[in-house]
Amino acid sequence: MTRGRLAAGAALAAAALLLPSVAGPFWMGLVTQMLVFGLLALSVDLLLGHAGLFSICHGSFFAVAAYTVAILQVRYGVSTLPAAAAGLAAGTLLGLVFGLAVRTRGVYFILITIAFGYVVWGVAHRWSSFTGGDNGVTNVPFPALGGLRVESHTEYYYLTLAVVALVALGYRVVIRSPFGLALRGIRGSETRMRTLGFDSNRHLYAAFVLSAALASLAGVMYVYYNRFVNPVAASFPVSVEAALMAIVGGSGTIIGPFLGSVIILGLRNWVSSFFELYAAVMGIVFIVAVLWVPEGLVGLAARARRRSQA
Amino acid sequence: MTTSAILQAINGTSLAALLFLVASGFTVTFGLMRVVNMAYGAYYLLGGYVGLSIMRATGSFALAVVGGGAAVVVAGYLIDRFLIHYTGENHLAQVLLTVGIAFVIGDLALKIWGGDSLKVPVPMALRGAMELPGGLVYPAFRFVLIFFGAAVAGALWLLYTRTQIGAVVRAGVDDREQVAATGIDVDRLFVMVSAVASFLAGMAGVVGGAFLTLYPGAEWEILIVALVVVIVGGLGSLGGAMIGALVVGLLDAYGRWLLPEFSYFVLFGPMAVLLLFRPQGIAGREA
Amino acid sequence: MTTLRSFRSLRRAALLLVLAVLAAAAGVQAQGEPIKIGFLIPLTGPLATPGQDMRDGFALFWEQAGQTAGGRKVQIVTADTTCNPDQALTQARRVVHQEKVHFMVGPLCGHEGPAVAQVSKETGVPLLMDTAGADTVTKWDRTPTVVRTAVSASQIGHPWGDYMYKELGLRNVTFIGQDYTWGHEVTLGAVKTFTELGGKVAKIIWNPIGTKDYGPTIAGIPADTDGVSAVVVGVDRVRLFEAWFNFGMDKKKKIFGGYWMHQDVLPQMDERAIGMIGNSLHYAAGLETPENKAFVDAFARKYKRLPSWFAESAYTTGLWSKAAIDTLGGKVEDRAAFLRAVRTTKINAPRGPLRLDEYDNPVQNVYISKIQKIKHPALGEVLTNVPFKTYPAVSQFWTWKPEEFLKRGPYKR
Repeated sequence: MTRGRLAAGAALAAAALLLPSVAGPFWMGLVTQMLVFGLLALSVDLLLGHAGLFSICHGSFFAVAAYTVAILQVRYGVSTLPAAAAGLAAGTLLGLVFGLAVRTRGVYFILITIAFGYVVWGVAHRWSSFTGGDNGVTNVPFPALGGLRVESHTEYYYLTLAVVALVALGYRVVIRSPFGLALRGIRGSETRMRTLGFDSNRHLYAAFVLSAALASLAGVMYVYYNRFVNPVAASFPVSVEAALMAIVGGSGTIIGPFLGSVIILGLRNWVSSFFELYAAVMGIVFIVAVLWVPEGLVGLAARARRRSQA
Repeated sequence: MTTSAILQAINGTSLAALLFLVASGFTVTFGLMRVVNMAYGAYYLLGGYVGLSIMRATGSFALAVVGGGAAVVVAGYLIDRFLIHYTGENHLAQVLLTVGIAFVIGDLALKIWGGDSLKVPVPMALRGAMELPGGLVYPAFRFVLIFFGAAVAGALWLLYTRTQIGAVVRAGVDDREQVAATGIDVDRLFVMVSAVASFLAGMAGVVGGAFLTLYPGAEWEILIVALVVVIVGGLGSLGGAMIGALVVGLLDAYGRWLLPEFSYFVLFGPMAVLLLFRPQGIAGREA
Repeated sequence: MTTLRSFRSLRRAALLLVLAVLAAAAGVQAQGEPIKIGFLIPLTGPLATPGQDMRDGFALFWEQAGQTAGGRKVQIVTADTTCNPDQALTQARRVVHQEKVHFMVGPLCGHEGPAVAQVSKETGVPLLMDTAGADTVTKWDRTPTVVRTAVSASQIGHPWGDYMYKELGLRNVTFIGQDYTWGHEVTLGAVKTFTELGGKVAKIIWNPIGTKDYGPTIAGIPADTDGVSAVVVGVDRVRLFEAWFNFGMDKKKKIFGGYWMHQDVLPQMDERAIGMIGNSLHYAAGLETPENKAFVDAFARKYKRLPSWFAESAYTTGLWSKAAIDTLGGKVEDRAAFLRAVRTTKINAPRGPLRLDEYDNPVQNVYISKIQKIKHPALGEVLTNVPFKTYPAVSQFWTWKPEEFLKRGPYKR
């Protein structure tokens, strides 16, 4: 790791740790959100940046995990550990089912994930006796593990930070492993990998399920932060924005999705406070990102660095 | 019971007519130019709103339909030329780009026409109900819509299968490089086809706006259903779009009549299953 | 000697005087800061129009009140919830933490209600829930800091069932209901009272919000029904209206609005609506009381249209909050006292006399109204709802005992 990167990383870590002491509950809440959605974006990027599959249904795993936790905790009084585990399991299980989509490629894959996403959203919306419909599930308590319990948004922020740090480390291990290499190989040229003897479908399926599990984790973190979940969590815009975050920040990297999350959520918050047409602004961000910054912020920085070195 | 069943069949068919108008453009655009344009719903909305304004200003429904279509042709051309053009065949980029464009169009429409649901006024001759054989009463406009849709479908089909231009387009869907190699100006072909597709979508907005109304969010609702049509019928196939539209229209009508709480399932379930086992749809090419 | 002592006591007196003045100034300083109200409504999105009505009604009240209450200036902080609970939650947290509002008013959409109530619970900031009508907020899922100033969904459904049986003489009704909490609770509330009187339900047809096509619904109406009750919201109100006539149903069956033709959607309907029952609701613009006439007049002159119930509701919430703040002399910081004042104040709103029951929901009149064309001095000829039957002082529990009602649980599909 270069000295510059180390310094930047240290500064970031310091800023993250000190945030609660300088910022109020609103900013802390916002940064927690950025971390959680960054996690979701990361899950999408595992498929997008490494396996070359563009999935627009990760909001489904996110939402299913969130709903599972919420319903178990609020309605059945289940405690945090089993509820969170069940949430993770539910989302991952859905991933096992939706993962069948990897039998298709390209635009068909994209469309089938869109359809899957809508089915889950539709169920969340219409099965109101179970999911609460549009009302959603409210008053989800803060997590509590045995004697330890989170008492405030500040504590939850630190918990989220810790989880994200651990996940990032694990993610790094995965993408640098032979499995990760195989994925990128498939993205580069599937036929070549096949001729080399790799079962591309099985690799892609495993990647899909893994990314679903990661999205589920994001869902669990989300519901404990928001303490509320409703069908919006499973909606199309959520899934599309997660992909956009990965791209805007820098697809294929670890920090990219988080950067993207900061940019998108920050922009939305800032713009909506003074400008009514912020959906149009988000649309423009999409357009600009796709046309001029496809490699994302990380890519831009790399490009700038290369240029300064040249 | 059977009167209800027949009524639902007519409902489904009139919806199918509308879906065909939106889906046919989308599918041929993809088939020929390999462009996934998620802004088709927004084109529908834009065309509808423009048509509404024209109707309010002139009182001529025909002018509104043509005007709405024309407006989208212009917008679509600019979007194609200055935005989509740069995404090449990168479907991911196209999806994101066109979703962004749809957001922009949707928000601008909200600003200009407001958040109310607006109805495109129907010409006096087509208002109210008409009596069908068997004592069935049905909205005149929607019934006429079926014939309109069939007429457009017929005209498109003739164009596609019986004219030279149509042959070139079909050849292009099959193998674009070959067509270019024979010296045909492929770019101009694309522009033409795209224009027709845009016109259809805009026209659909005016016509749809007359009985479904126009409002923020309509662009996504119609797009999703049109996507189902295209997937079921097969990406790139005009005939598939016709079949798909009928299937989806009827499924929608009967599904909502018989199993209202599972209406999303009735629409998307079969589509998802179909996609898993036959991703190219009913009439599409091999995936 | 006396001079020194008296000088000392003079100094002491001066010191005390200065301290007293400083204390008073500090008190005045705290009092002098404006009262900030967090106003959570949809400014954009599909419910922007009712949201606009709320904004206008609220603004009209505070303008008439000189932007003051309890001797302090009032500042309204408006936040856009887009009728989305997620956004509502975020905005509620923002106005509480960043803008430091003293209390919140809103939100509009029923499903946003519980989400904003949650923020009120988390932070202790009082919420005057205006418009959002989910039953549970004032029955099973109550928050001590949340009080409702508008209406609870089934509160308008119960008298409607009664009316259909007793006054319309219907016995076999088809219910068309919007498929979400508000639609469920209004419809099923009517079903409950209707069936308890002996009526039969021919069929209940649920339609999700934004149903594109009312054809299948119309086709699904049983042939032997003697009347149709409509509970629809938003865009669907227009679509059902059109579909009804387009399918020639106006010649075959009768349809009545349980919750249908409100003021905000009447401009999109036409003369065919005249004579039809538009609503069973706690407000009608055509209500002829001095308070309402004054309100409607002022609203019409300022905004060039008649007010819907969304507008009146916001106006009345302004009226209610001011009445409460006035009794406190402006000390809104004392949240418990503020809530107590709101709970005990009775007001004469444009819609009629209002007071809160022990479950923090208003007891109020419910009006069954018909669509009429009236001539308004400022607007000319307009369609509006004119009440012709009043159910006075209706409670959210109708005629049942609260404990009995609560035991039954919420109305579910």
